[in-house]
Amino acid sequence: MSIQQLLNGVSLGSVYALIAVGFALVFNILKFSNFAHGGVMTLTAYIGLAASLFFSRWLSGLPLFGATLVSAALAGAIVGIVLERMAFRRIRNNNSPVIYYFISSITMGILMENIVTIFASSTFYSYPKFFELSVVELFHVNIALTDLLMLVFSSTALMILLWVLYRTKIGLAIRALSFDVNTANLMGMDSNRVVMATFIAAGILGGVAGVFLGINYTLYPQLGQLIVKGFIASVIGGLGSITGAMIGAVLLGVLEVTLISAVGAGIAPVFVFIIMLTFLLVRPRGIAGVIVQEKA
Amino acid sequence: MKFNNKHLVLAMVALFVVSLALVGCGGGSGGGGGAAKPAEMLVIGSIQDMSGTTSVFGNAVTRGAEVAIEKLNAKGGINGKKIKLVTLDTKGDPKEAINAYNRLVDQEKAIAVLGPPISNIGLAIAPIANSKKVPVVGSFIDPRVTVGQDGKPQTAMFLMQPSSVQYAEIMAGYAVEKLGLKKIAIFYNQSNAYSVSLIKPFKEYAESLGAKIVIEEKYTKDDKDYKTQLAKIKESGADVLYAPNYTQELVILFKQRKQAGVNIPIVDGLDLAAPFAQNINDPEAADNAFFANNFSEKEPQLVEVRNAYKAKYNNEEPINKAYLGYDKIMLIAEAAKKMNSTKPEDLIKGLEQIKDMQGATGVITLSPKTHQPVGLSMVIFKMEKGKYIEVGRYVPEKHKKL
Repeated sequence: MSIQQLLNGVSLGSVYALIAVGFALVFNILKFSNFAHGGVMTLTAYIGLAASLFFSRWLSGLPLFGATLVSAALAGAIVGIVLERMAFRRIRNNNSPVIYYFISSITMGILMENIVTIFASSTFYSYPKFFELSVVELFHVNIALTDLLMLVFSSTALMILLWVLYRTKIGLAIRALSFDVNTANLMGMDSNRVVMATFIAAGILGGVAGVFLGINYTLYPQLGQLIVKGFIASVIGGLGSITGAMIGAVLLGVLEVTLISAVGAGIAPVFVFIIMLTFLLVRPRGIAGVIVQEKA
Repeated sequence: MKFNNKHLVLAMVALFVVSLALVGCGGGSGGGGGAAKPAEMLVIGSIQDMSGTTSVFGNAVTRGAEVAIEKLNAKGGINGKKIKLVTLDTKGDPKEAINAYNRLVDQEKAIAVLGPPISNIGLAIAPIANSKKVPVVGSFIDPRVTVGQDGKPQTAMFLMQPSSVQYAEIMAGYAVEKLGLKKIAIFYNQSNAYSVSLIKPFKEYAESLGAKIVIEEKYTKDDKDYKTQLAKIKESGADVLYAPNYTQELVILFKQRKQAGVNIPIVDGLDLAAPFAQNINDPEAADNAFFANNFSEKEPQLVEVRNAYKAKYNNEEPINKAYLGYDKIMLIAEAAKKMNSTKPEDLIKGLEQIKDMQGATGVITLSPKTHQPVGLSMVIFKMEKGKYIEVGRYVPEKHKKL
């Protein structure tokens, strides 16, 4: 495999990583697959587009890109809060089974997709051109600038996230909660606040991912369905493990690129799903090996 | 606590009933306008993608058709009866399209149905339309939609723009005969009947002209990253890329062609027509491409439709599918006039006899043997730095001999 293809794989993987990390974060605590995250990405990507059109009156280039990203991330945080209050808090307070979370998250995902369809029509949109340069050439290998940025952003986001999780008080709380909700509550922790913080973080990641997906793949209401890739990456990497999701995503990207150039795009998904099934059967805890059996 | 839950359940049931009633009323008032004089109104059905990924096309066809209906109704409708268009949303899904066709025929008593510009849907509804004998006039260019595997025409299915065979030959001819490019790369969506149907005739005609297909790469519906395939195309040393796919996928392809550094021209279908270049939002990526469109912007019959369209829809610029929608209605009206009847079965006979009808997109003659138009030429456009340049009508050598 050529270096060009390997790089393509890593850059595709970094897209998946951005999706997978937001997805894994919620799984980490509430132990369910949050498919509403796809809806969050779509909604925030559109909000990002609106922001970029608004700010383009005064800004251009990198500042415009930064403003877009920040707006989408803020919108993501707000959507995260609303989502948690509307869809999940009541379920959690009632100690309902995990399947309720799952249904609620899928419903919210579809709802957000349709809200976007109603307000922005189902036409696809493109983000304005942010950078003069779109390709970086190194040693006869082409790297798309957005891919490079995405790689930088998803690794930075991951670093920050890991720092928050392992070096701050709220991070400790999140980890404690993900280990045992009841004990954490008995110790006097406000689980609502911690869960809220998790959804805010996931929302911010969703916003950033949404903007990047929009720039790379155009904006359309079904954009959020790329969440499936994040899900596969999470399964390979280990559901609930954040580093695992990241590793799984990059592996998935490289795997897809390799399969596409070896067997063609038509059959590649078959192999991807076989690999995912194998993981679910043989090693459900994924590469990272976090044990989340109690509730999954 | 128990009491509360009961109340909650009751409230939810009430909410459900109320929302059902609201939806019912909404539908009722919409239909109510038409129900005022059901006897005189003729219904032409339309199954279009109004909210899915190809809804840009669906909306354009619908609006073009509305313009045609307004024009016909102003002159007294079809055979003295006013017409109304009932459009059902398919979301681009063949299953939804089948339901929609059945509902239009069985409940709305549609005399004819406008098909979508989507070949997958054409293939799905053909058997049902054949048995119900209510004609579908569409722009699905896969020839299998209109001609069955036995070589006989599909009774109720009609195509009103060049079929994929004619179309692919025009593009292959242009690339090889006019541009002199003989090392061809092909890249297409293998889960899309439209794309697939444009591949074989292109290859056959290009190869008959002495060109060589150096690489053939595919992708499927959900793929959004084509850089892997583009890298292989770059390595293959091809000097032209043929990529007959839907618009949104082409926007991504054009952007990634630039990112992957594949600096060869793209030869393509009318999916590149305006507003494609604006959608890319990057004049350097929207560059170096040739495509065949159904019509020239300058022709007078088109200008008339365009002005009517803009007057009706807030100065919105119609896209090419809007003119197809307009012509679909005109074809149905012409068939009704020919047979002096509006029965669906008579319309099928009438459509088979359409000859030299001046439509917005050209002069249309439908062949009774294939239910496809005969001898429609196409207009070649060039895309350069985000701008369109009209090159002129082009007929490949083979079509001249016919």
